[in-house]
Amino acid sequence: MAELDFEMKLDRMFNEPPVLADGEAFARMVELRLDRGWNLRQVAIGATGLIAGLVGVTQVLGSPLLFEAGKATQRNAAALTDGVTGLVRAGENLSALPFGGEAMWLAAALGVMALAFAVTRAVEEFQ
Amino acid sequence: MAGARSPASLHDVELAALAAAGDRPAFGELVRRHGSAVRGLLRRMGAEPALADDIAQDAFLAAFERIVEFRGEGTFSAWVRKIAARLYVRRWRKESRFDPEAETADEGHGGEISAAARIDLDEALKTLSPAERMCVSLCYGAGVSHAEAAEALNAPLGTVKSHVKRGLDKLRLRLAPPEGANSEPTGSESHG
Repeated sequence: MAELDFEMKLDRMFNEPPVLADGEAFARMVELRLDRGWNLRQVAIGATGLIAGLVGVTQVLGSPLLFEAGKATQRNAAALTDGVTGLVRAGENLSALPFGGEAMWLAAALGVMALAFAVTRAVEEFQ
Repeated sequence: MAGARSPASLHDVELAALAAAGDRPAFGELVRRHGSAVRGLLRRMGAEPALADDIAQDAFLAAFERIVEFRGEGTFSAWVRKIAARLYVRRWRKESRFDPEAETADEGHGGEISAAARIDLDEALKTLSPAERMCVSLCYGAGVSHAEAAEALNAPLGTVKSHVKRGLDKLRLRLAPPEGANSEPTGSESHG
């Protein structure tokens, strides 16, 4: 029993923290190290992101992707221009044609179909 | 809501939850509350004050990194003291200071013991050998079991138990009131 009492007393004594005058300075030092670690981590994450971004941009620029995309855009622009030109011509010739209103609607539908075809081609080219 | 109150008014568990969410001021409050306990334990284990402070800082930083592991099952103080004690033991072992056979220079259980020394745990611990001091501080200050202490120290369980027993016998003499100084010292197994 005396032994148990002594061990409990010892536990209590160990659990009583000593009074240290520089407790606040110690806490500030830990906070400073936490902040420093946090800032370092942020810099490291930022630097890693920057390097990864630069590598990604270099890879994209070095690959033929942009060149192919540019060529495809030129082809599609030409196809679109052709379509529009055809429509304009058809409009100009409408008055000269000996057809009625039905024929005009039919021509308009064909124009829409041509446009849809051009868009479809453009989508196919980009895929 | 905990976030609307000042850190000083919050319980340790609430502060730990805030710290787990990245709230560093909340963790700073925990350091303010328990810094002395951690530093005191390391000094009682035998670390010089400067080294004790360095290890205590490392322990708090490690605690911040692992704060999600603290779920309030024990006290925050006990949790972080255990981390600090393990860090110190690792350093202690690296410096090969653990000699299982080492005995203190002050082996005399008799002799004059001042009244102040009887009640001052810090002074009483100085009369133990480094190994006894380490084992007693680990088991009673850091709250680790004999088996955990043996594992941390990489020493046989029996050796740790004997160091604890011898250390307790010496402490009992030094910390006992004057009239109880003649009582027969006995062993301890409660932390095994």
